[in-house]
Amino acid sequence: MAREAALGGPAAKGRGAASDLSRLAERLHVSTIVVFVLVLLVWRALSSAFGSYVMPPPGAVVAGLRRVLVSGELWKHAGATFYRIVVGFGLALVAAITMGLLASAWRQARIAVHDVIAVLNSTSVFVWIVVSLIWFGLTDMAPMFTTLMITLPVLASNVVEGVENVDPRHLEMARVYRLGEWERFRSIVIPSTIPYLVAGMKVGFGLALKVSVVAEIFGVTSGVGYIMNYSREILATDMVFVWAAVMILIMMLTDKLVFEALSRRVQRWR
Amino acid sequence: MAVKVEVRAVSKDYLIPVLDRISFSVAEGEFLCILGPNGCGKTTLLRIIGCMEEPTAGEVLIEGKPLDFAHLPEHRIGFVFQEDRLLPWKTLRENVALVLKPLGGEGERGRKVATDYLRFVGLAGFEDYFPNRVSGGMRQRAAIARALAVEPEILLMDEPFGGLDAQNRRIMQGEVQRIWRETKKTILFVTHSIEEATLIGTKLVMMSARPAAVREIIENDGGADRHAIVERLNRMITEEVIRQQGLDYGFGGATPGERPMGAG
Ligand SMILES: Nc1ncnc2c1ncn2[C@@H]1O[C@H](COP(=O)(O)OP(=O)(O)O)[C@@H](O)[C@H]1O
Ligand SMILES: [Mg+2]
Repeated sequence: MAREAALGGPAAKGRGAASDLSRLAERLHVSTIVVFVLVLLVWRALSSAFGSYVMPPPGAVVAGLRRVLVSGELWKHAGATFYRIVVGFGLALVAAITMGLLASAWRQARIAVHDVIAVLNSTSVFVWIVVSLIWFGLTDMAPMFTTLMITLPVLASNVVEGVENVDPRHLEMARVYRLGEWERFRSIVIPSTIPYLVAGMKVGFGLALKVSVVAEIFGVTSGVGYIMNYSREILATDMVFVWAAVMILIMMLTDKLVFEALSRRVQRWR
Repeated sequence: MAVKVEVRAVSKDYLIPVLDRISFSVAEGEFLCILGPNGCGKTTLLRIIGCMEEPTAGEVLIEGKPLDFAHLPEHRIGFVFQEDRLLPWKTLRENVALVLKPLGGEGERGRKVATDYLRFVGLAGFEDYFPNRVSGGMRQRAAIARALAVEPEILLMDEPFGGLDAQNRRIMQGEVQRIWRETKKTILFVTHSIEEATLIGTKLVMMSARPAAVREIIENDGGADRHAIVERLNRMITEEVIRQQGLDYGFGGATPGERPMGAG
């Protein structure tokens, strides 16, 4: 130990510089950049090996992205998809909160809510797509309804979990100090549930985006799902890749801009 | 002086019997300390007096009127829990103001009263801090401010300084004594520290190991015999701890070394 310490002077300094460098590398996501470059190289190689119908070259995808951005197609289709998600997801949110309220107010309801969530969780996306095509035909309603039914169990199970995890010691405190039913709900039940709700929204929104574009393959004439499938039909594989990239960007942006900010805000007391 | 709280033959069974026919009374303005080994049922007893838990048998009278456990407590009770039990999403001031709402202290008035009580416990300037941003000692002070803010008829405190270091503990003991002298509240204070109890209590109730019965009630009006009381209580609590752990050696018995191998 002592000998190491004695030798440690300059060596420790060297280690310090090295760890500074590795911190900087972490900040810049250097490892991600390396992976990204490797993927690009493999992608280019595959593209020249199999041709651009199977694998369009990276350059074509970038050019396509610029084209849809300039022509305004991007906003049209992304906007249509976004609108459907917001409506379907919004309705799911309302329904999930209602289920949470029932579960918190009434023990019998809690059991029913748990069972309903279990059934919804076990139902395939495809069931909702087919059923909504029968019920709503070739309209906006089909992707909205599908989004609603798929995100509902995710949101509801989080809200119910939040309601069930209210700290009984806080409720006991409320009893000694004779807080009324409403005050207890407003000051204790809601704030303890909100972090669960936000976590559920984060997962649920991602799911909504993934599911609604599948539903858009059928029946509608706008939306990222529709245009992707259309691009496939006219053999424009590069555009399929472009719209896939658009979807990924939408997801990452909402996650960063909306949900990260939201969870920071509701947890500001931590 | 008038009897404020009377505990009459209170028993409580969970899966096991915890309290066994506990009886004692507390006069108005008295500072009662409840002592007993860990896990003997002190918290349970205080929760019963605070109307949070119904006893299996017996009753609790406050000013001669039995508690009705099916409803919210009728009396203004201040309760300082073993943990602070502040709501982490509310600031210290909001935490105190919250308990004033059922008493008609809504809005600006509640805020003002809360601010006053926070100042009273030495937290001026920290009103807008969230509990997680202040030290454990400050959180416990805020919990005391909350308990005092309702102007309680009875102040129940459950090992309120258990989580504090010796320094803070001594400071807080002084504070509670000052509060008691200034407000003349009836205080029931649970502790397992004999030093603490003899320092601040005017009456001491020593409980036995589980199932807890009242082992001794001692008047502690200060004076020269405090040292003797400490000695006696120390001996008692050691006996109780040994009894609780089911060890039959100890006072006058065999020492561990003399017991047969593998026993116990
Ligand atoms: N809600 C409960 N259900 C079952 N057992 C309990 C409950 N509350 C307390 N106990 C038991 O009662 C005994 C006394 O607990 P407690 O009153 O917390 O003791 P103390 O405060 O003296 O340390 C313990 O053995 C504990 O496990
Ligand atoms: Mg306890």
